[in-house]
Amino acid sequence: MNGVSRPTLALGVSAVVLSLVTLLGLPTPLQAVAAIAILVLLPGHALSRLTQVSDVALRALLVLALGLAVLTAVSMAMFYLAVWSWQACVITMGVITVLACLARARQEAS
Amino acid sequence: MTDTLVATSRTAGRWKARDVWCAAAGIVSLALAVGAASTVSVPVNSDLGLVAVLPYPFWAGVLILNVAFVIALRGDAGGPARRPVMIWLIAVLVLMLFGTAAFATDIPRGEIAFRHLGIADALSGTHGIDPSIDGYFNWPGFFALLATVLQATGLDPVSLALWAPVFNMGLWLIALAVVTGYLTRDPRRRWLALWLFCLGNWQDQDYLSPQAFGFFLHLVVIALLLGPLAARAPVFRGFRPADLAAWWRGRSPAEPRTGYRVGALVMALLLIVVISASHQLTPFMALIAITALTLSGRVWPSRLPLITIVVLTLWLAYPASAYLSGHPPLADAGLEAATEANVLDRVRGADGHVLVVQVRAILTLVLWGLAAAGAVRDWRRGRLDIRVVLLALTPLLLFPAQVYGGEMLIRVSLFALPFIALQAGSILLPADRSKLTLDESKHSLDESKHSLDESKHSLDESKRSMDGSKRRSYLAAGGLALACTLLAVMTVTGRFGNARYDVFTDDEITAVAAAQRLAPTGSALISAAHPTPWRSQGYLEHRYRTMDDLCRSDLSTAKCGPVVYDYARHSPGGAVVLFTRSSEASLVLQGFTSEAGFAELEKWLSTHNGVELVYSNADARAYRVTP
Repeated sequence: MNGVSRPTLALGVSAVVLSLVTLLGLPTPLQAVAAIAILVLLPGHALSRLTQVSDVALRALLVLALGLAVLTAVSMAMFYLAVWSWQACVITMGVITVLACLARARQEAS
Repeated sequence: MTDTLVATSRTAGRWKARDVWCAAAGIVSLALAVGAASTVSVPVNSDLGLVAVLPYPFWAGVLILNVAFVIALRGDAGGPARRPVMIWLIAVLVLMLFGTAAFATDIPRGEIAFRHLGIADALSGTHGIDPSIDGYFNWPGFFALLATVLQATGLDPVSLALWAPVFNMGLWLIALAVVTGYLTRDPRRRWLALWLFCLGNWQDQDYLSPQAFGFFLHLVVIALLLGPLAARAPVFRGFRPADLAAWWRGRSPAEPRTGYRVGALVMALLLIVVISASHQLTPFMALIAITALTLSGRVWPSRLPLITIVVLTLWLAYPASAYLSGHPPLADAGLEAATEANVLDRVRGADGHVLVVQVRAILTLVLWGLAAAGAVRDWRRGRLDIRVVLLALTPLLLFPAQVYGGEMLIRVSLFALPFIALQAGSILLPADRSKLTLDESKHSLDESKHSLDESKHSLDESKRSMDGSKRRSYLAAGGLALACTLLAVMTVTGRFGNARYDVFTDDEITAVAAAQRLAPTGSALISAAHPTPWRSQGYLEHRYRTMDDLCRSDLSTAKCGPVVYDYARHSPGGAVVLFTRSSEASLVLQGFTSEAGFAELEKWLSTHNGVELVYSNADARAYRVTP
């Protein structure tokens, strides 16, 4: 993985691990933390890193807003397609995070 | 007019004793408020709501916190107190103003949060969206999000609804902090805008709702428009076509990186789509704000309003078409209808209730008045920001467009509030000048000391000048602390003014659960009035009606009794009719009936054929009506 930064790698690996952990299930408070991380925070962070936003405050805001907006769009699309389950949402958000990390890795490599 | 208001200085530097004291005052305030609020017993038996039953330590906490904030805001010549202190004080204010009810009871206030939980529950159960159910299923974005979050996290839905106001205020404040960062570089003005936003937020729209979610995303869109998507407009020459064309062509992007601008545009579009899918009103507010900023030459992608219109139209034409076919958007438009529904209909009922409504109106008018005075002051100084004015005023355009259940004025004041708060800060921060005078006087004093031998007279004059400036500065700070404390009292009065009927008891929750259990699937559940803490489960299993809806607010026994009885008897599966303490308080407080009239209606129903008392406790009775 020449040219790929550690944060990008860590983000991608975290997405995979947290997706699996959330699907397998954890005790209540940990499950909530893991689910919020994989559903909102990691996708939001991965997507905001694709932009060149340099302002820390705006980046923090975009992590939350993008994470929530993408999860809304994914959940709603699944409901309209009648394929919704929370597990499918976790997997999809994990895949979105990994894809965003791959796109970021390409940016970093070029 | 300028792009940004004038800056004083950054929040930086080492920890000072003042910062530590202010942070400690925040801890004391929070302890006092939490301790006091937790002693409030439910039900709240005052027409004024929580404000009448909160013990004095709560108000002492409010006073201490506002004084600490003003001291922290004044700071010193280097700027206000350190950022962690300011954030901590705002966090305490949010907990005190928006978590008060959660410290008093573990049941969410109001009916609507329960209903929203029920919609998310229904979605989880059906795994699909049927737009013919009701309006919520035409804008299902937020409910889809809620269903996923609740199922994946395993969080308790009621606890989530209980703390949603604090959580939503946190989200709004984060967004507003970024927005104000693009509108002023003055840290004092930014902190004060956040503070006033909390103090003026009586609208009570921060519960678990698509409105709260949509408002957050709306603020993020505004942040993108004012930040990476902003444009610099040349000097405005006039309204002649040639001048206008030259002015429009003379705009330039504020953000030089094309890739960043494209990324920001994609993000803004995603947010607009999600807003359009989540809430009826917010996309129109977003469209108005985007259009106003674009026409003022302050947004670079000039086609964004058009794209927003396309997104909004497509949503209304397809996913929301089922609802719109029965509810034409402009069916109840008009200034007269809007004024009647939003103002006249609300100012009635018991004396205490009318007083609460008046306090809400006064609080709003005070903030708008301060903002107007601030705008005049900024204009005179040549630093009025047209973007703040546009964002504060344009929500008013929606007022005559829709009655919105008599809540349009509330929504308009909410969407304007961030910018009203920022503009009001201009008049509430005279400390700029007085502090400057104080600093100048200090400087002058130092200089005079150096030249003591030369002129002792000059030293005396400087001392006198400094004393006068100090006095003015302290008076201004004291006035600001007092004003903030009064606003806090008014906000608590306005927000929790309906506590007599929107704070539920355990008995009422138990009775609603029993009624839902006793009502056969497909039967009707009839409550006396809103709010009733129902529909959080079994949203699709029953038809839910209230007597004031069935009887069109004429609750006299002679007229309403037969209507309710006939409806219950002719419902497939019969009905369960629920009389609760909160629904009675709601009807009495708002002037729809009296306690005697309510009791008479219940007695009339209970003595009819096929009506049987099936559940009762201290705060509720449930009657089964067989078909």
